[in-house]
Amino acid sequence: MSHSNTENIKIRVADLTFSYRGRRILNDVSVDFAANRITALTGPSGVGKSTFLTTLNRLWENIPDARMKGRVEIKLQGKFRDVYARDLSVTELRKQVAMVFQTPNPLPMSIRKNIAFPLKLAGEKNREVISSKVENTLKMANLWEEVKDRLNDDARNLSGGQQQRLCIARALVLEPEVLLLDEPTSSLDQASTTVIEELLTGLKDRLTILVVSHYLEQVIRISDRVVEFADETIVS
Amino acid sequence: MKRFGEMLAERTFLLSALASSSITLAILAFMVFMGLPLMKEGGFFQLLLKPWAPFQGSFGIYPMIVGTGAISFLSLVFAFPLSLGCSFLIGAIGPRPVRRGFRRLIELMTGIPTVIYGFVGIFLLVPIIRELFQQGSGLCILTAALVLGLMITPTMTLFFCDSFDRIPRSFLDAADALGASPVQKLLYVILPSAKKGMLNGVILALGRAVGDTLIALMIAGNAIRVPESVLDPARTLTAHIALVIAADYDSPEFRSIFTCGIVLYLFTMAVTFLVRYLGQAEGRRE
Amino acid sequence: MKFRTLEGLTVLFSWAAGLLLLSAVSLLLGYLLIKGYQSVNLSLIFGDASPLRAVLLKERVFDGLFPAIAGTLVLVILSIVWAIPVGVAAGIYLAEYAGSRVKKVLDVFFDVLSGIPSIVVGLFGFSFAVFLHKHYSDRIGPCLLISSIALSILVLPYIIRTTQASLEGIPLDLRLTALALGATRFQNIFLVLIPRSLSGIMSGIILAIGRCAEDTAVIMLTGAVASAGLPHSLFSQYEALPFFIYYISSQYANPDELMQGYGASIILLLLCAGLFSLAYGIRKGLNYWAFYRP
Repeated sequence: MSHSNTENIKIRVADLTFSYRGRRILNDVSVDFAANRITALTGPSGVGKSTFLTTLNRLWENIPDARMKGRVEIKLQGKFRDVYARDLSVTELRKQVAMVFQTPNPLPMSIRKNIAFPLKLAGEKNREVISSKVENTLKMANLWEEVKDRLNDDARNLSGGQQQRLCIARALVLEPEVLLLDEPTSSLDQASTTVIEELLTGLKDRLTILVVSHYLEQVIRISDRVVEFADETIVS
Repeated sequence: MKRFGEMLAERTFLLSALASSSITLAILAFMVFMGLPLMKEGGFFQLLLKPWAPFQGSFGIYPMIVGTGAISFLSLVFAFPLSLGCSFLIGAIGPRPVRRGFRRLIELMTGIPTVIYGFVGIFLLVPIIRELFQQGSGLCILTAALVLGLMITPTMTLFFCDSFDRIPRSFLDAADALGASPVQKLLYVILPSAKKGMLNGVILALGRAVGDTLIALMIAGNAIRVPESVLDPARTLTAHIALVIAADYDSPEFRSIFTCGIVLYLFTMAVTFLVRYLGQAEGRRE
Repeated sequence: MKFRTLEGLTVLFSWAAGLLLLSAVSLLLGYLLIKGYQSVNLSLIFGDASPLRAVLLKERVFDGLFPAIAGTLVLVILSIVWAIPVGVAAGIYLAEYAGSRVKKVLDVFFDVLSGIPSIVVGLFGFSFAVFLHKHYSDRIGPCLLISSIALSILVLPYIIRTTQASLEGIPLDLRLTALALGATRFQNIFLVLIPRSLSGIMSGIILAIGRCAEDTAVIMLTGAVASAGLPHSLFSQYEALPFFIYYISSQYANPDELMQGYGASIILLLLCAGLFSLAYGIRKGLNYWAFYRP
């Protein structure tokens, strides 16, 4: 629903309807998200929170038998862009709207190569630039100290919490404006969860963050605003 | 009573399994048995290297081994890039309808009988090759390899596609979320992970090429000479068996087909074990 | 810059390969259809005889494909009759009874069996016929019976693999349901698991049928001949459609006979394409190696 007009809006969703194999999952959802805040998306499981996230970076398009109607606009580089317009390529979009998944998904390569991967996709060749960005993002993700001596190790050898921080770092490398996280700590232990929560809190002045979470306490701890999903719509 | 029925059922199933697997051995046994006189005389490994000169009493199958090797290898040279490109299209690069439709088409192609490839090859391709190179009759290694390559391409393509399919979803999701384009996803995530599976596919396709009879029989010319160029006719181990089967039963000529059979059988075993070994090596690494 | 070129080249290469394959196949099929469509009519199959009387076996067909088609039909039916019981039973054993060590050993055997070139299987059939001829009866030689046995050996791995794969694909909770209610192992298999995996098994059988219909190498060594009339006994030689095509390609005496070859090819093509697409239509995500072995 709407905020007071003094807040800076980053994402505008209007009349979003989503169905999968004929079953309606989201029905006429409209909501705005403020910039530089952490907004938590909560609700019972299966209600469509993760699906909602995928409409923001168009990841749902990889799933056959899924249909979507509605409008999603995100303020990128100062201008509101229709996410589904022709002039915005999906790959460009995803470089500015990054996503972290519930189960960490490091690619089958070294830690360094994982972080450098988005740079490779973007065509960055300069070794020094790559090295420095790798270091910076790992520091941003509070992972640098733990891995700086073994950057060439396979990323899958890291612990769950470390892997997730790796994925967050990897998501940040191209300096996106929005970060979407789908239950980022649900597969992690308490200690790792705390580390990641602190990390996210520290990031919000650079990014707009949306977190799907069903842990009430986590939501209370880190979010500035809560959007509750229930039965195809939004409640609060 | 029930328990007896249970046991009976289990024994029956076991029997079927044992019977089926013993057939594998029986095949080898029969061929060794029938080919023994020739092999005792000539020595098995000798036969593999000797030329075919019946008038001099030499029934070596070396020319056929070269023929099989040349045609199979060349067919793979044609089929591999074709299969690779098609699997790329199906696995990543093509738009969604193309991927599904093309895959269906290729699956359908695996149902085209070999004899039809041979038939069309003789009447369509052979004259073309003959005209193009102005040498020989057109019935040669090159023509056979082209047709054989076309025939094994759908199978190899599907092998490749299946190794792409077996890549864990998490890698693909990660690549997508990071904004990789389809070809980037293919080159930097899918291919590195699918390499082993693809090697498997090549080896199995090679097995299939070596085992083909009709295309070589109908198109490769069947001359028993060690070929010197791709425009020369050649005879494969498989074609030799088909051709000599009508020969005089007790002659050493006739027995030579069993030598061919044994070589083919051993090759099949080698391919099988190689593929299993590679599969296990990969399993252990994970 | 180099990255972009590699990526661009890959895309180009892929499309080129796809187009090349597409044109090659279109060329092949188109050539066949264009050359042969005129000859596909009833007289191709029945020659000068009347179709109705020929099918009722009242009139002999001399110049048509009817004997060859009938031969292929009988051959396929016989081969499947041998192969289904043995193959399905072996598949059941592998999926439901075999311990992991036994399974591994059997696996190797069946892998080898499925890789054996068809001509070698034909050679085995021939040797087997010779063996029977020498040791049992003078009357036995390469014939319908031998061919069908050899063909069933050829397709046995298909049926075993698809049966095994379909059974193994049944989710664990379903497997345990009947057992928890007190059913014996056999009852579970027979009443619950097999019906559940029927579509997979069926598609394996249809694939095997297609393989039997198209095979030429096995039958040319075990009893298929160019002219033998309708198959009249298990121990007689017979005609078959793929063998006819092979034979005609090198032995055609006049353009008419060649036309028959084209017509026969079209018929065989339609038959096999139909069977294979039926099999794939029924399949539901079965394991790949059950299907793509030669």
